[in-house]
Amino acid sequence: MAVAVAMPSLGMSMREGRVLAWLVPVGARVAKDQPLLSIESEKAEFEMPAPAAGVLRHVYVEPDATVPCGTLLAVITASGDAMFDADAFRRANDRPLAVRPAPVAAAPGAAALPARERVAITPAARARARTLGIDAAAVAGTGPGGRITRDDIEAWAARRQALVEVAPGVSLEAPAQGAGEPVVLLPGFGVDVSVFTSQVPSLAERFRVIGVNPRGVGLSDAPAAACYDVATAAADAAALLGRPAHIVGASLGAAVALELALAHPESVRSLVLITPFVTAGARLLAVLDAWCRVARAADSEALASVLLPWMFSECFLADAASRERARRGLAASAARVAPTVLDRYAAGVHAWSGSRAADLGRIAVPTLVVTAAQDLLVPAAATVGAAIPGAVTRTLPTAGHAVTIEAAAAMVTMVLGHLGGV
Amino acid sequence: MPLSTETLMDLYRQMRTIRVFEDQLAELVMAGRLNGFLHLYAGEEAVAVGVCAHLSAPDVITSTHRGHGHCIAKGVDVHRMMAELFGRRTGICKGKGGSMHIADLDLGMLGANGIVGAGIPLATGAALTMQVKQTGGVAVAFFGDGATNQGQFHESLNLAAIWKLPVVFVIENNGYGEATPTEFVTPVRDLASRAAAYAMAGDTADGMDFFDVHEKAGAAIARARRGEGPTLIECKTYRYYGHYVGDALTYRSAAEAAEWMEQRDPLRLFEARVLEAGVVEEGNLRRIDREVRVLIEAAVAAAEAAPFPDPADLLADVYVKE
Amino acid sequence: MARELSMVAAINEALHIALAADPDVIVLGEDVAGGGGRADQGIEDAWGGIMGATRGLLTRFGAQRVRDTPISEMGFLGAAVGAAATGLRPVAELMFIDFIGVALDPLLNQAAKLRYMFGGKASVPLTVRTLTGAGLRSAAQHSQSLYGITAGIPGLKTVIPSNPADAKGLLLAAIRDDDPVIFCEPKSLMFLSGEVPEEDYEVPLGSAKVVSAGSDVTLVGFGRTVHTALTAAAALAADGISAEVIDLRSLQPLDTDAILASLSKTGRLVVIDEATPRCGIASDVAALCVDRGFEFLDAPVKRVTAPHAPVPFSPTLEDAYMPSPEQVVAAVREMG
Repeated sequence: MAVAVAMPSLGMSMREGRVLAWLVPVGARVAKDQPLLSIESEKAEFEMPAPAAGVLRHVYVEPDATVPCGTLLAVITASGDAMFDADAFRRANDRPLAVRPAPVAAAPGAAALPARERVAITPAARARARTLGIDAAAVAGTGPGGRITRDDIEAWAARRQALVEVAPGVSLEAPAQGAGEPVVLLPGFGVDVSVFTSQVPSLAERFRVIGVNPRGVGLSDAPAAACYDVATAAADAAALLGRPAHIVGASLGAAVALELALAHPESVRSLVLITPFVTAGARLLAVLDAWCRVARAADSEALASVLLPWMFSECFLADAASRERARRGLAASAARVAPTVLDRYAAGVHAWSGSRAADLGRIAVPTLVVTAAQDLLVPAAATVGAAIPGAVTRTLPTAGHAVTIEAAAAMVTMVLGHLGGV
Repeated sequence: MPLSTETLMDLYRQMRTIRVFEDQLAELVMAGRLNGFLHLYAGEEAVAVGVCAHLSAPDVITSTHRGHGHCIAKGVDVHRMMAELFGRRTGICKGKGGSMHIADLDLGMLGANGIVGAGIPLATGAALTMQVKQTGGVAVAFFGDGATNQGQFHESLNLAAIWKLPVVFVIENNGYGEATPTEFVTPVRDLASRAAAYAMAGDTADGMDFFDVHEKAGAAIARARRGEGPTLIECKTYRYYGHYVGDALTYRSAAEAAEWMEQRDPLRLFEARVLEAGVVEEGNLRRIDREVRVLIEAAVAAAEAAPFPDPADLLADVYVKE
Repeated sequence: MARELSMVAAINEALHIALAADPDVIVLGEDVAGGGGRADQGIEDAWGGIMGATRGLLTRFGAQRVRDTPISEMGFLGAAVGAAATGLRPVAELMFIDFIGVALDPLLNQAAKLRYMFGGKASVPLTVRTLTGAGLRSAAQHSQSLYGITAGIPGLKTVIPSNPADAKGLLLAAIRDDDPVIFCEPKSLMFLSGEVPEEDYEVPLGSAKVVSAGSDVTLVGFGRTVHTALTAAAALAADGISAEVIDLRSLQPLDTDAILASLSKTGRLVVIDEATPRCGIASDVAALCVDRGFEFLDAPVKRVTAPHAPVPFSPTLEDAYMPSPEQVVAAVREMG
């Protein structure tokens, strides 16, 4: 018996990972689920459990190496004595994904869905796009100088295949994994579901985890509109669900979760509201306004730098490695949302703010509210918990607004705890 | 007179055919009924006919841009020649060659040639074939005084001499290379003297006198057939028209041309000789004149009525097999 | 049954076979025998050509059919054309293709055009054997690759083998072809050895060969550059890039179907040509890809050629002059 240990693909956009350390020496016995190695992805650090009990027979990738998801990292065999051909096993089981760097903005302010005038694209790619009925301008190119290649078109088409239609002519990117009761993840303003990367693996072990990138985020369609309002976002999410689901929303995602519970109660089994608001404070609105302006004027790297101090706590920011990792992750996530889309969501927040303050008492599902004591953007999140009948409020004493990143493990524990008790 | 009456009349017919053919072309060009560069042989008939009288179909000749006379003397069909000049599908080259590339390999006419001197190595090569295959044939290269200054002339004579090929090199010295007098660009007066540079037999003939050409060419051709190697013969002659039809002829005096045409016309000289010898009746010669005119007129009419080539012919015969 | 022969020996074998099979085949050129006229001293066949390609032919087939010529390229090539048009099947040698300058008229205006101008009545079954390419320190006037000139002349055919077996088969096919064929002999490959079948066989004109199959990029070469491409392919394979190597073998007719079929598979193409960059085979193939293979292209077509300069003498300069596997690999990386 030989079990492959491969670089996992976690969350919605992980393409490669870096091996940080092997937690067990070669030749040692391991139990199933025992932490085997620590891995860093662009979003987070995590420990990968052993997929089987046995002996860690051979390690193929050393610490500090960055490899594509699917790369064979190690092998666990039943015993350490029997003959084992490590090379043959690698040849048969090494399946690294073709690594394509995450689409990067081609110019300052340009995001993943521009209407570019001049698109550098190969003839083969253009022909393929034509055959598939794809607007090539929407595809980010990985060839020299950002040139769109045939592979880029094929990859984009494959990803689009996974989109789900929620309204006539509107499809959303809703990556899912795991099996069991559905748990829906709704991200906040201007980011995609990758903010939940650290929580997904654990949740997916027991639930069917569905991330929803709303309109204009990632590969989701961005139909023309002056305002992307919260009610529509909730209706979109409801359209996705076949049966009542556990809704986990962060920040603006929590607002959508509240709308879901109020306007589409049949879709909601329970709620997890992470740093929620019903009325946007002045500082939050000011940050959203700055977000929109900076996204238009500068690149996503600059945008992420500007947002970091608003999203994280002092002690998180003090750690250079964490800060840098968070900045990169935030930049990559923010790059998937065009400036025009941000404007529409900002308008939506303005329109929704305060409209549901009096309705929280009607919510009748088990609710967990998670607040962060160092949250600069939504300091009054606890009032939401107080207004919902039977809601449990938990506060993270040291975290800032972006708790799913800053307090990743604690989030997992809290959410699993809540779900387990539902 | 060693030639029979019948032969003499046939030779006269050939020369008269060349003359009328060329004169007719001049008229057609001036009338705008014919295209392209036409280089006319009128005045030089005695050379082509005098040499080709010793040749038959297995013997091969090459010519120059001024090749209609050689074609006719080698027996090429006049109707098919005319059709070729009119660019018709019925032309001897299917309309693909035109005046400067007129040819008929079935009759041993390896083509007029648009490159000065290019026919000389081709004829040399034909003689090589005859030597290797021992056919007993002879090759004759016709070319002008200007070609004797071309590299291809010198290399070919050297090669023919060293290999003793059965080839006769015939210079038609008409005094001009295009618009430049021969003496201006050639340091020797008697071009036949160039034979000595290749240890080759050389001879000179009066190109306006059929019988002189005939005798000298006969000797050279016989030498070649006996396997004794090549000869260089210079025929001093004159072209009545310009280098090409439409040439203003501003580079030579009208008086000079008139003198050649009146005093040395080859057809008149031939007629005088045969009538004086009493071997041909004048009436027959006039009859031949009329028949030739009828032939040429019919050839023109047939050519103008004939179809042009198919557009698909454009790509035909680039290769034997694509 | 196969045994190893050098390319020059394979060419020699083809000539022996051709002359034995057809009495109309003759050989002429400078020093094709050597020691001309000195049979009494026993020194005819002294050279058998500058590289020995025509050795033994005079002794075996006689002086009528194997002729040393004066240094008169225009004269003896013109004679070869005339002979071909009148019943012989000459194999003439233009010792170095660089000498085409003094002999272009017989090829350009006569051999190429007689059939066409004469309405199909003539044919010129002439073969011209000629040395091409750099690599032997022969300097600017003896190292050129001028097949781009002949390949572009309608009426001529041009072929170039990359190995001894193809050299023998292509030469036999060229001699038996009824059109004038320029048979290029890459001088840097003349002493390359390879398996050569013993029998009489032909490699068809106009047929390229996929020497090594691949899926990521097409490398098109001919003559010496087939070997350049194969070396580059090995280096690319170590980096996980699978290259398909095509040996054109025939420049005119050109196997356009083979080139386009490979391009449709890989989407990427590099042409490697020993000649200088302007107006040559490399540009011709690139234009074909852009014109008829546009929808297949997933990257720009790259050309790796000699630079726009005469061939230098000094060994270090000449080595830098010739296309290298490193340049091919760099081109593949650059194209994306």
